[in-house]
Amino acid sequence: MAATSTETAIRVSDLNYTYPDGTVALEQVSFEIERGESVALVGPNGAGKSTLLLHLNGILHSRKSRGAIEILGEPVDPKKVHKMPKKIGIVFQDPDDMLFMPLLCDDVAFGPINLGVEKVDVKQRVKDSLERVGLAGYENRVSHHLSGGEKKRAAIATVLSMEPEIIAMDEPTANLDPKSRAELIDILKTLKNEGKTLIIVTHDVNAIPELADRVIVLNRTVVADGTTREVFSDTETLLAAGLEVPTIMQFFEVMQAFGYPCKVLPLSIEGAVSNLTETIENGDGHIHLHIHEHTHSEVDLARSKYQHHHHAARMRDIHSGPGTGAAH
Amino acid sequence: MISEIDRYAGISSPIHRWDPRLKLVSIFALIFSVILLYNLQLVVTGMVFAIILTCISKIPFPFVLSRMKLVFIFVIPFFIIIPFTVIGDGVEIARFGGITMSYRGIEYVKFAAMIVLKALTAVMLIFPMIGTSRMDITIKALEGLHLPNKLVQMFAFTYRYIFVLDDEFMRMDRSLASRGFKRRGNLYTLTTISKAIAMLFVKSYERADRVFYAMRSKGYAGTVATLHEFHAGRQDWINAAVVVGFALLLQVAATFDAFGTSGTFGGL
Repeated sequence: MAATSTETAIRVSDLNYTYPDGTVALEQVSFEIERGESVALVGPNGAGKSTLLLHLNGILHSRKSRGAIEILGEPVDPKKVHKMPKKIGIVFQDPDDMLFMPLLCDDVAFGPINLGVEKVDVKQRVKDSLERVGLAGYENRVSHHLSGGEKKRAAIATVLSMEPEIIAMDEPTANLDPKSRAELIDILKTLKNEGKTLIIVTHDVNAIPELADRVIVLNRTVVADGTTREVFSDTETLLAAGLEVPTIMQFFEVMQAFGYPCKVLPLSIEGAVSNLTETIENGDGHIHLHIHEHTHSEVDLARSKYQHHHHAARMRDIHSGPGTGAAH
Repeated sequence: MISEIDRYAGISSPIHRWDPRLKLVSIFALIFSVILLYNLQLVVTGMVFAIILTCISKIPFPFVLSRMKLVFIFVIPFFIIIPFTVIGDGVEIARFGGITMSYRGIEYVKFAAMIVLKALTAVMLIFPMIGTSRMDITIKALEGLHLPNKLVQMFAFTYRYIFVLDDEFMRMDRSLASRGFKRRGNLYTLTTISKAIAMLFVKSYERADRVFYAMRSKGYAGTVATLHEFHAGRQDWINAAVVVGFALLLQVAATFDAFGTSGTFGGL
């Protein structure tokens, strides 16, 4: 994958889309994703994230979107949607939409058969794909009877079996119990390490540092685009888009108020472990926390920074002047 | 929850082991043969054969009978309608405005019995036919029989999503109940239920859109193919020969009027 990593996997340039009822869904959306990159696409509800995904293989299209999207160097042709799965596979948000065949093996075989893969190979692909999502031996299960977590993983298997270069997923970790969520994150991490190009729509900010190198914030148009750290450092933009930063990052900011020396806030538990290790080593085996006269106001500040109702209240105070602010 | 006709697909019996393609075709032929009969004795013979098949399939009779109850309620009025309505040769009993009630004789009670028995036999045969394989296997068998692909897709999607829709309606029903809604025989109940059903249509329409998008993203270009392996061995063909042979025998018997003319209604 290293040899081809300089190629562009997805190029979106000036994509616009308006729903038939006149609602603007996407406005001048532009970005590029390199091969092998793993990108989180975040944004508030109704920001057009799912709509954007459906444009990537040409399912949704309009006069205005013509030529706006290139996948692996070729423009997307809405007339050839059925040829797209070789390049890009989309995992929908609701697995019930993706598992439409009587048996799970039929669902997983559906894509490869459509792509004209030989029967023997289809069987092998079905077996492999199910194994990769931890559902080995589930071939003859009825998808309607699977649990929520199994359905999510099964939906991913139906896309893996087509062996696409790029995989786009719509909220893969939503509505899952902690164990299923952890299993799903593991599957995504494996895909990332295999060098697949991933574009993951998610609200799960705590999972992003593990899964994505880069974050694109979409709110009808691209609001922010940068490395995971860059985007999470830009609190104002995130809050304006109705988002938040990982809990661990918030916690370390609170720690700073207690005197913890930390220049770069860790984004994940792993980051926190190495950060703590480094700090303790530098501090001769100790870390020193204390309370000084500004500690509590700093803690309040750090906390209110990430809390949406506080944020909203603060904005209200600013707009309505200090007189009404006293009421809080 | 919609009860599944293939609830007893998991048990083992000669019918269960029969190649589903041959099973479908053979029993379908038998159903047609019974429906085409106009001879009470032959219909009864068909019925007995259907009962034997159901016994061999080991599907519990209470299950079969509970399903047939509905059909029975539907066909039982024939006992009244057929003997007491008129084409011209009956004895007039009463007249209500433009509707004449007349009695056409015991012949027509037999005729009604024949129609009822035919219906019940046909419905009973459905159990060994599709109750002995999982529905998905049956659908694959239809595909294996080279039924038009669009038809197979319709069967498959109906079967797949009827449960999803049922769940969806159940959720709406519970949400109504949890907010104090109780079904009564009034207009409010009717409008509420009809609104819920309307919402179900809207939701189904949107789901259909999303499923279609998902299919398109997986390379769907009009036909659905699945992997299936059916092997018809000697026993499968013997079974088919027995059932189809019986179906043909019924027709031959009907043609040569093997049981005399007393039970036939050839003129109708």
